[in-house]
Amino acid sequence: MDERLAADLVAVLDKRRVRVESLELALYARDASVIEGRAGVVVFPNSTDEVQAVVRVARAHGVPIVPRGSGTGLAGGSVPLDGAVVIVTTHMDRILEIDEEERVAWVQPGVLNLDLSRAVAHLGLHFAPDPSSQQSCTIGGNVANNSGGPHCLAYGVTSAHVLAVEVVLPDGSLTMLGGLDPDPPGYDLRGAFVGSEGTMGIATRIAVRLTPLPPAVRTMLADFPTVEGAAAAVSGIIAAGILPAALEMMDAEITRAVEAYVHAGFPTDAAAVLLVEVDGLPDGVDAATVQIDEVCRDHGARHVRVAADLAERALLWKGRKSAFGAIARIAPNYYLHDAVVPRTRLVEVLTKVYEIAERHSLVMMNVFHAGDGNLHPLIVFDRRVEGVMERVHAAGTEIIEACVAAGGVLSGEHGIGLEKRDFMHLIFSPDDLDAQARLREAFDPNGTCNPQKVLPAGARCGDLQRIPEGAWI
Amino acid sequence: MTFRLELDDDELSSCVSCGLCLPHCPTYRTTGDESASPRGRIAAMRAVQWAGAPADDSFTAFMERCVQCRACETACPSSVPFGRLMEGARAALLHPWWKRLAYRVVGSHRLLVLLSTVAALLQRAGVRLPGLPRLPLRQAPLHASGTDVYLFTGCVMDAWSRSTHAAVQRVLEAAGAGVALPGRGADCCGALSVHAGLSDHARQLAARTMRAFPGDAPILVDAAGCGAALKDYGHLLGTAEAEAFSARVLDVSEWLAARMDRLPAVEPSARFGPSVAVQDPCHLRHVQRAHEHVRTVLRPFADVIELDDEGMCCGAGGAYSVQQPELSTAIRDRKLSAVARSGAKVVASANPGCAFHLAGAGLDVRHPLEIVDEVLRGR
Ligand SMILES: Cc1cc2nc3c(=O)[nH]c(=O)nc-3n(C[C@H](O)[C@H](O)[C@H](O)COP(=O)(O)OP(=O)(O)OC[C@H]3O[C@@H](n4cnc5c(N)ncnc54)[C@H](O)[C@@H]3O)c2cc1C
Ligand code: SF4
Ligand code: SF4
Repeated sequence: MDERLAADLVAVLDKRRVRVESLELALYARDASVIEGRAGVVVFPNSTDEVQAVVRVARAHGVPIVPRGSGTGLAGGSVPLDGAVVIVTTHMDRILEIDEEERVAWVQPGVLNLDLSRAVAHLGLHFAPDPSSQQSCTIGGNVANNSGGPHCLAYGVTSAHVLAVEVVLPDGSLTMLGGLDPDPPGYDLRGAFVGSEGTMGIATRIAVRLTPLPPAVRTMLADFPTVEGAAAAVSGIIAAGILPAALEMMDAEITRAVEAYVHAGFPTDAAAVLLVEVDGLPDGVDAATVQIDEVCRDHGARHVRVAADLAERALLWKGRKSAFGAIARIAPNYYLHDAVVPRTRLVEVLTKVYEIAERHSLVMMNVFHAGDGNLHPLIVFDRRVEGVMERVHAAGTEIIEACVAAGGVLSGEHGIGLEKRDFMHLIFSPDDLDAQARLREAFDPNGTCNPQKVLPAGARCGDLQRIPEGAWI
Repeated sequence: MTFRLELDDDELSSCVSCGLCLPHCPTYRTTGDESASPRGRIAAMRAVQWAGAPADDSFTAFMERCVQCRACETACPSSVPFGRLMEGARAALLHPWWKRLAYRVVGSHRLLVLLSTVAALLQRAGVRLPGLPRLPLRQAPLHASGTDVYLFTGCVMDAWSRSTHAAVQRVLEAAGAGVALPGRGADCCGALSVHAGLSDHARQLAARTMRAFPGDAPILVDAAGCGAALKDYGHLLGTAEAEAFSARVLDVSEWLAARMDRLPAVEPSARFGPSVAVQDPCHLRHVQRAHEHVRTVLRPFADVIELDDEGMCCGAGGAYSVQQPELSTAIRDRKLSAVARSGAKVVASANPGCAFHLAGAGLDVRHPLEIVDEVLRGR
C-alpha cells in the first residue's frame, strides 16, 4: 500500500473514510461474481466534491480508480485490479428531490433501487427497472450496468428511465450528461454513459424517471411437465399479441431450491415454471389473464395459478428474485451467464446448454427473463473440488459460443466487466471494438477509470491488456 | 497463544456472496461498510480460517460490531447459518476478564437484583446512569395460580420490570390458564453467554434452568431473547431431554394466539386508546419467526400500525447497547424515524432489552400483553 496516497486521501476526506487495513481491503476484492482482485485503498466520499477530490488525488498518484455501489454485480465490474482506489458510494444514499408533477427524482448514486420505489410508492409511483437484486443494488450500479429486470420486458431497461447524470470524469472535472428536456440538444452522451460499467467516470447525481404504478396487476404461475412446453408457451403468449409486464421461467432444480427458501407453493415436481404478470386497466388485465391461461394449457401446462392477493404475489416474486442467492442449497459457488437469444430459438439453445453441462459433468440450472430471450444459465459447483474451475470455464465458453451461434448477444443486463470481456470478439469485429475503445478514450484518455474492464485485450490496436497475475477468475 | 477459528467448513462456504442480505443488516445500513455486513463478516471469517489472515484487531472489531440480530438469516436465500458462525467466531475471540464477570452477574439473579436496586437508589438521588431507564425500587412478588402453563421469569426482566410478568400472568389467567412459576435456578437462560461465545457457561445455565421446570406443561416466555435461547437448548446441549424441553417453550403471544377465543370480547369503546406500532424483536422475528402472533393477540384490543422498516433491528442487542454505544444509537435512530413516520404514540415490544433501549430514547414502550391487560382491566 502506498502510504503517501493514503495520506493524501485522508487529507481530502478524513481518517475514518479511508481504509487501508489488509483484512478490510480483502472484503472489497470481489463482487457477487467469482472473480477476485486486490484493492489498494477503499474510500467513502459523502459528496460530489469529495468524489472529485478523491479522483484527483488518485490521478496525481497514477493509481486507477474503481467505482463500487453494493457489489452485487455479476461480471466483476467493481473488482479492483492492481491495487486500485475503490470509491464506494454507500454514503451517498440520499434521495435529493422528488418532483411528483414531472415524475422525476434526483438521487445520489448510492440510493438502493428498492428504497427509491418505496419512497415514492405513496405517490402511486415507482422506479420501473427492477433487477432481481433490487433490494440491494444501487441506482449508480444500475446506471453503470444498464440493468434490466423482470418488468423491463414491458417498461424497458434502466437507460429508458435515466434522464440526466452528473458525472465526475476520470480527470476529476464535473459534467452533466442529458437533461430533463424531452430531447436535449447534441449527442446523447447520457446514453453512452449508461452501461459504461464505471469506465467513463463516476455518476454522482442521477435524474430518474418515475413510472405510475399500474391500476391492476395479475400474477400467474404456470407449471409445465417439460422445459420445451414452457419455452413454447413463452413464444405462444407473445404470438397471441400479449405483452406481459413480466415473463419469467425457472427450471426444475432452481424451482426446488427457491421453494425450499420461500415456501410459496412453487411446484417442486414441475420440469419448468413460468411466472407471468400482466398489468394495466382492470378489463384488459382480466382478458389477458384468460388468454394466457389458455395458451399455457395449450402448451401442456398442468396448472395455472393466479395469485389471490398482494401477499401471494409478493411471495412469488420473492421466490423468483432469490433464485441466484438460493443456489448454495445445492453448491456453494455459481458461474452465471447472461446471454440473449432470439425468442424463437429458446428451446433449441436451452437443449444445447443442458447438453454442454452434462458433457462436462456439471450441474446446470436455468432461471431467466424468458419474455425477451435473456437466458441466465447458471453452473453451480464447489470451488474446493479440484479441477472444477477448468470444467466450468470450458462449459462457459461453449455456452456463450452456442448462444452467439444462435444469433444471440453476450450480455442482456449484467454487463461485460471482466468476466465476459474476452468473449467480446465473438460478437464484435475488430473495427467495432476499436470504435468502442475510441469512445472510451474520449472520456478517459489516460485509461485510469476501471481499467481492463469491458474491452478485451488488444481492442485498441497494439495495447495488450491481460488479466493480471493473481486475479482469480 | 495462537488463534484458532474452528467454524464448520461447509457452513462457512454456504454463502454465495450475492449481497441480498445487505439491506437487512442494521450495521451495514448505518455504516455502508462491507465489514459491517453479513457477507463481509463471512468473508473475514473465511480469510482467517482459510487464507491464514491474522485475527487482528480489525477482525475482532468486525465481529463485535454485529448485533447478532440474525436478520441476515431470514433474508438469505441460501440459509447461511449466520448466527452459529458468529457465535463460533465470538467463542474463539478472547474475552477480557471484566466482560466474563459481567456475564456472571447477569447469571446470578440475587446479585442482579441487588445491583439494580443500588442503581435505582442512585437514580432517586439524582444520578444519571446512561443507557438505563428509570428502574423500580421495590416490586411485588408473583404468586402461582395453577399448573397449566409455566411463566418463565428470567433474570434482567424479573429484576427490572416484574410488573410485566404480573400483567402477562393476569392475561393468561383471563384466558383460563392456571400459571405456575419455575423452581429455583431459572434465573438466567444463558442467552447473553451464548451470544458472547461463552458456551460452557451457557450450558451450565441451561442445565440449571431445565431442572426448574419439572413436568410437561408449556413454558411461556415474555422476553423474546430468552424464548429464543430456551428454544435452542436442544441444539446447545444436544440431548433428547433438552430437545423435549425446547419443544415445550413458546412465546406468550404464540401460545395465546391459538386461544384468542378464550379471552373476553371488548366493546369498541373499551379498546386501547392510542394506536400501537409493533416493534418486532429480532429474536422473535428472525430467530423464533413467531412475530405474527403478536399482531393476532393485539388486534382485538388495539389499532395496530405496521412500521415500514421491515422489522429492522432497534440496536438493543442484549449487551450490545453498552458495548457498541455509537452504532447502537445510530441503529436506534433509524427505528425512531420509522416510529415517527408511523404516527403511533405507543410501541409494543415483546422483548425487555428492546423496550429499555427504546424507552431510553423517550418512547412509550410496553409489552403487547401489558396493553391487552390494561384493556381487560379497564373493561
Ligand atoms: C441475486 C442477484 C440478482 C441479480 N439480478 C439482476 C437482474 O435481474 N438484472 C440485472 O440487470 N442485474 C442483476 N444482477 C446484477 C447486479 O445486481 C446489477 O448489475 C446491479 O445494477 C449492480 O449494482 P451494484 O450497486 O451492486 O453495483 P456494483 O456491483 O458495485 O458495480 C457494478 C458496476 O457499476 C459500476 N458503478 C457502480 N456505481 C457507479 C457509479 N456511481 N458511477 C459509475 N459506475 C458505477 C462499477 O464500477 C461496476 O462496474 C443481480 C445480481 C444478483 C447478486
Ligand atoms: S449470507 Fe446469504 S444473502 Fe448474504 S451474501 Fe451470503 S448467500 Fe447472499
Ligand atoms: S446478525 Fe444482524 S448485525 Fe449481524 S450480520 Fe446479521 S444482520 Fe448484520
